[in-house]
Amino acid sequence: MHRYALFCLFALGLVALPLAAHHSFATVFDMNKPTTFTGTVTKVEWTNPHAWFYVDVKDEKGVVRNYACETGPPNVLSRNGWKKDSLKIGDTVNVSAYRAKDGTDTFSTRQVTMPDGRKVFAGSAADEGK
Amino acid sequence: MRHILPILILAGTAFAQATKPAAIPRMPDGKPDMSGVWQRPFVQDMTKDGPGQKGEPNPPFTEWSKANLVEEFDYSAFCLPLGYTRAINSPMPVEIVQRPDRVVLLYEMNNTFHVVFTDGRPHPKDLDPTWFGHSIGKWNGDVLTVDTVGFNGKTRVDTQGHPHTDALHVVETFKLTDADHIAYEVTVEDPKAYTHPWKNTRTFTKRKDWEIMEYNCNENNKEVMEGHLKYPGAK
Repeated sequence: MHRYALFCLFALGLVALPLAAHHSFATVFDMNKPTTFTGTVTKVEWTNPHAWFYVDVKDEKGVVRNYACETGPPNVLSRNGWKKDSLKIGDTVNVSAYRAKDGTDTFSTRQVTMPDGRKVFAGSAADEGK
Repeated sequence: MRHILPILILAGTAFAQATKPAAIPRMPDGKPDMSGVWQRPFVQDMTKDGPGQKGEPNPPFTEWSKANLVEEFDYSAFCLPLGYTRAINSPMPVEIVQRPDRVVLLYEMNNTFHVVFTDGRPHPKDLDPTWFGHSIGKWNGDVLTVDTVGFNGKTRVDTQGHPHTDALHVVETFKLTDADHIAYEVTVEDPKAYTHPWKNTRTFTKRKDWEIMEYNCNENNKEVMEGHLKYPGAK
């Protein structure tokens, strides 16, 4: 029951832990700076050790910035229901993420709300209890 | 009335099936057969509990360990081998390929393999230290015990960075509790780093619907290539 409950929380996007297996998350990203933004997808890299997508986001001054968003790798995303063309250039997405500690426009993605409204967990599926 | 007896027999059979221990797959030699793709708990911190994972909240650090708790160099981010326990802890599945004389672990994480010899050979006397060490396995009834030594001391016990030295000695037990679950235990022994051995217990789940996939560490490693992470000494 506990595992099922946890799965449901993940599926709903209510719990999203920053998961990175090949490095310590805390060395790159700041867990104390969760943020959300909405933007237009400009590029998708279906690559290891992380897939990345890029979104044009207007900052508070109205300047368009291109945010680089890290997700889990293709194997993990595939098992989580993503496909390499799930995100398309031009899609408007809402992203929940942590910013890089070095202050660059680089983010670790917690969750993406897809154009059709689906909320997708963007990290590792491994401990979702599935 | 004549319908009741078959119903009772059916009910009795169902009860017997429900209470009988589940059959486990076996090798031709009668040993449990763990071959298959297994999902394991992703353990970033071996002091913590999680789904399918019971950690050790208070690892018995030596003075050396207490002075070396901070990992200065995030070696795995630079795609050096994870090392033995971090491969065990990794989030991606492992495929077990079993033969009478060896058990082969195919880790999806970093496409890494490891061989456990079960043919009765001892550890070599003059072992060269390596990232993954040398493993021998022994069956005691239906439990496989794996003993691993010969580490180079360049890795950490977990992503969190708990330390170990080249004196690391890892003992693991694998037991199929039914066709789809392994009760797994890993004991960390390292007299230079810990005053006594400590352990984690975990449950692995068979995923017949999964195949091992490809994963590599340095195709588009932006954290390193763009300098979000720095190699020690880098300007």
